[in-house]
Amino acid sequence: MQSLRHMGIIALNTFRESIRDKILYNIVLLAVALAVFSIVLGEWSVFDRAYVIKSTTLSVMSLSGLLISIFVGISLVQKEIQRRTVLTLLSKPISRVSFIVGKYLGLLAVVAIHLLILTGIYYVILFITNSEPSVSLLTAIYLIFCEMAVVIAIALLFSSFSTTILSALFTLGVYFAGHLSDQLLEQVRFASRMGELHDASSVLLEKAAVVIHAVFPGLYRFNVTSYVVHGVALPDMYLFWNSLYALGYIGVFLAIASWWFSRRDFL
Amino acid sequence: MIKIENLQKTYRSGFLMKPKVALKNLSLHVEPGQVYGFIGPNGAGKSTTIKVLTGLLNFDSGKVLVNGLSPRDAKSRRDIGYSPEQPYFYDYLTGKELLKFYGSLVGLKGDELNSRIGWALELVHADKDWINRRLRSYSKGMMQRVGIAQAVLSRPKLLILDEPMSGLDPMGRRDVREAILELNRGGTTIFYSSHLLSDVESISHKVAMVVDGKIVREGTVDEITDSCGVEYHVRTRSAIALKDLPEGVSPTGHPQECVCADDNARDRLLAFCLSHGVAVEKMDHKRPSLEDILTEEIARAES
Repeated sequence: MQSLRHMGIIALNTFRESIRDKILYNIVLLAVALAVFSIVLGEWSVFDRAYVIKSTTLSVMSLSGLLISIFVGISLVQKEIQRRTVLTLLSKPISRVSFIVGKYLGLLAVVAIHLLILTGIYYVILFITNSEPSVSLLTAIYLIFCEMAVVIAIALLFSSFSTTILSALFTLGVYFAGHLSDQLLEQVRFASRMGELHDASSVLLEKAAVVIHAVFPGLYRFNVTSYVVHGVALPDMYLFWNSLYALGYIGVFLAIASWWFSRRDFL
Repeated sequence: MIKIENLQKTYRSGFLMKPKVALKNLSLHVEPGQVYGFIGPNGAGKSTTIKVLTGLLNFDSGKVLVNGLSPRDAKSRRDIGYSPEQPYFYDYLTGKELLKFYGSLVGLKGDELNSRIGWALELVHADKDWINRRLRSYSKGMMQRVGIAQAVLSRPKLLILDEPMSGLDPMGRRDVREAILELNRGGTTIFYSSHLLSDVESISHKVAMVVDGKIVREGTVDEITDSCGVEYHVRTRSAIALKDLPEGVSPTGHPQECVCADDNARDRLLAFCLSHGVAVEKMDHKRPSLEDILTEEIARAES
């Protein structure tokens, strides 16, 4: 109970820290500007206007969410260590697990508010441009939120033991691996079926693709923009299973981050 | 309150993880109600010891108990207040927001939190005007005061302060000294490190001197200075020839002044003066200061 209270207090302070950070405002303003610009893109495009506006705005949401998750996420723990504020904070009767989880929840709240603001703007744009605003679009937005929840956990994990720049690079690496691992495995298996892989290095390549697919979080699962925009129905329980999938990875990443952070010395 | 036995801590740095032993079998005990000064040169291991006590550093071996619990246990920090050396805080917060944040982490809320903040600010003689300003505009002295204020918010049984007087002007140092003594009168045990040995001499019940990761002296200020003996500076009305100076008495360069190394040398000189009709004009006894002893210990460790 005490730990939950500590997590809440740290989360609230992290939220306050983030909303007073200039980076956040720059990203939010950029996202809003790009979302508004999607109206112009819709007019210019040779494709259906509603399709362009919807897919552009969802991409803006995903990209801006990613920027906040990575650039604010990696600095959360590192800033505490570099500015030595961690010394006073961890000398209070709080566990290091509460610290990590509190930081995580604080940034998650920031991303949630950011997506909420963009969702509002998104629906206003769809209403103004008469581009079939439907409730099903919320599915895609919810999955973007799930994806960002995983990305924040990855950023926190790396920032618990690495420098800011390395954490950013590692997180981006995992992000791209998580999006491409499915395609990589498919390509390798296709080549294998076609009989193009027969030497030792090709077998190794296939095994590497299998390991990457199994270890890295499959972030491609959370990208359902094209389904939603084209009105294609998602499988039953898709949201439920992918929510569980995200929760599983978040739990593992935060557990490793907490374990590593607990072993650290603070000079 | 604090029990440390044979504490060993090694830092590892660089690509090859080159080890450097920071604490070498350090032992000390702090009893409840004491003001305990922890002194030593830079890099001697003072801050390392304090960070082990507050759970910020892990240690290699030894036994450390704070309020009867291991510092690795978060519960051991329930009755501790800590202010680090040159404290840094969230500069996007105002002083009041910061104290509310730390107060809520130690379980305070509502009116109790507000009244405790008022009490802490009064204790450190903080100006009420600047408490609503963002911390990025604070001077070093203001930061130090806020650091102590956040540490005492929970009215801890044990207050650990790392160089609480560094960077303060004389008024600030006096305020911090008074705050320490007031808290101690209220029953708080204080464990603090400092370079300002005159302050340590004036407020500490007990002092430990750490040099090169080891405790080299421990006791009350009197016990430590007495253990190094007392010198007597004697001035006579007429000069005493060098060859006549008794054993243990040495000249100072002035023909009518000499120094007795201990009580026996003093007695021998006085007996000589009585028997030879030499009048004693003045005699002062001089104890070595903590600074003298620390300097001597550092020189010994270096040699």
